[in-house]
Amino acid sequence: MSGHSMSVGPGRMGAIMLVAPALLMIGFLFLYPFGYSVISAFTDNGEGSWHLSNFVKAVEFYSKDILFTIAIVTIATALIGILAVAIAGYLTLGENKIAITVLKWLYRWPLFIPFIVSAQLMRTFLAKNGMMNNLLTSSGIIELLAAQSYLDWRGIVITFVWKQTPFVALLVAGAMASIDRTTIDAGRIFGASRLRILIELVVPQIATTLMVGLILSYVVMLSVLSVPLMINAQSPTMLTVDMAWRINSYGDYGVANALGIMSYLFTGVVAWFYLRQSLKDKRA
Amino acid sequence: MVGVGIEIEKLCVGYNKAKVLHEIDLEINPSEFVALLGASGCGKTTLLKSLSGFIKPMSGAIKVAGRDVAQLPPEQRNMAMVFQSYALWPHMTVRQNVGYGLKLRGVGKGQIKAKVDEMLALLGLSDFAERKVPNLSGGQRQRVALGRALAVDSPILLLDEPLSNLDARIRLLMRHEIRFLQQRMGLTAVHVTHDREEAMVMADRIVILNEGHVAQVGTPLEVYEQPKSNFVATFMGAENEIAVHVSRANGSVELIEQGAVKAASLPVSHEIGDGGVNWRATSAGQVLGRFHSSAAHLVADGAVPAGHLAFAGTVTQLSYPGGVFRYEIECSGQHYMIDDACRYAVGDAVTICVPAGGLHLYSDAA
Repeated sequence: MSGHSMSVGPGRMGAIMLVAPALLMIGFLFLYPFGYSVISAFTDNGEGSWHLSNFVKAVEFYSKDILFTIAIVTIATALIGILAVAIAGYLTLGENKIAITVLKWLYRWPLFIPFIVSAQLMRTFLAKNGMMNNLLTSSGIIELLAAQSYLDWRGIVITFVWKQTPFVALLVAGAMASIDRTTIDAGRIFGASRLRILIELVVPQIATTLMVGLILSYVVMLSVLSVPLMINAQSPTMLTVDMAWRINSYGDYGVANALGIMSYLFTGVVAWFYLRQSLKDKRA
Repeated sequence: MVGVGIEIEKLCVGYNKAKVLHEIDLEINPSEFVALLGASGCGKTTLLKSLSGFIKPMSGAIKVAGRDVAQLPPEQRNMAMVFQSYALWPHMTVRQNVGYGLKLRGVGKGQIKAKVDEMLALLGLSDFAERKVPNLSGGQRQRVALGRALAVDSPILLLDEPLSNLDARIRLLMRHEIRFLQQRMGLTAVHVTHDREEAMVMADRIVILNEGHVAQVGTPLEVYEQPKSNFVATFMGAENEIAVHVSRANGSVELIEQGAVKAASLPVSHEIGDGGVNWRATSAGQVLGRFHSSAAHLVADGAVPAGHLAFAGTVTQLSYPGGVFRYEIECSGQHYMIDDACRYAVGDAVTICVPAGGLHLYSDAA
């Protein structure tokens, strides 16, 4: 009886009122600008007929940057996944209590540092005469003349990985801590090494969480401007730099929005994989 | 693979500085089924975890086929285990779960398939081979866990309360299945349980643990009929307790009339089943008597048969658990549970009669 009364009349209105603020926020802050961007990408700043010239121009001018962007975020996402699993795996399966405590304390630090500060840190760390090369030369690992700057694509990848690994590791470590511990013990008693337990028994059980973390990181890295701008602003660079350039130097919102929609498409591809996997899990 | 012997010598185990097991000595014969029985916190799970390698002992030795494995990690001990929570890998199918141990041992794909098929057929799981384990019932999951443990042909099978999550009917079925398979394969099995009946029907020998010490080791018959201490008697179900005054004569115990207890002469047992009292007291005088509710019977007319401990009381409660009536009898402020086939009513005056063979006498409550 009460179920019926919930779905009609004032009850229903109340429910709509409750979700209305959130819906309006999404509408005004996301759907409206997004819709405007889409229209702008396919027209001349929202005027005139529909055409693809902004996309043609974007591909013509920035095809290298598109591939560079995809390569950077893909490599960084893969490395983040490997490192996050390694950190969370050690926190879950490691036996050295001191090492675990130190790692637990250290690995989260980059989470609290903004991207722009991370980029600045990396500039001083990865430059030709930066801290990393100073350390390597002073410890005799490399010759002074062999020192090289990492402030190129490698610098962007290193910064992204350093900044985003703790976030994914945090999610993954939480998921690993919540799996039934005896499934790990069972692996050990049947003779599995730690690495096999991690790869064959633990990671498959937390795969959904890992995927969510990696997709969120992927999306974040696609949208970061400060890191590529500060570490590698020369060509090729990432799409966010190109977008900023089109707007600030030319006031060209059409091409900037076309590049933005391409970023959406890249995100859409990974989101599709995620949704497909979620549906598969639900059916299983 | 045929089971191997295990020797546990002066094993001390603890968490941080708190000792949980105190100098445990225990010998388990090849192909023997041993049940570790005790109340929560007695150390039975800790002992099993020490055997499996999940806990490193403070001192002592665990010898498997003569080799000390106490300091080895679990993966190097070649033991198989069935867990209370099944511990199946939820992302794998039944077939993958059962075959994973073999894969770890580097067995070829063809051999794995043949062995897994054999195990699934043995456990009646052939129709579920390709199913993911979350889609199975509790009984089916525990069968998969058992199949996984048996598939690896390990000589030692560790069972950590494997039946406690199952419903009563399946539990009874699985008891016999596990016992049958263990005997058929000749494995050495160590089974942790807090269920007395489960230990009795499954094990060749029972190890009763109390606060980290071995209280008694023996066959189910020995620990039930001849409990060495008041603790073991209580744990084995001799819940009824009565203080009696006794003197000793040649080969018998003389009960001295005191309160509701009538005088009687009871023979002392020399071996199981001879009908005598299980005399464990160190001296005559005031001793503590224990008996099972099923060992005693009631008489209404006060005609006590010879060779029985007898004392009068009143029926205060009755129930019917099946087969016999269960009575609560009140006697001098104490309450006793007695099973009897005859029907009495609440308020009836009765005499509790305990035959000498059903009575255990101890000096103290330890």
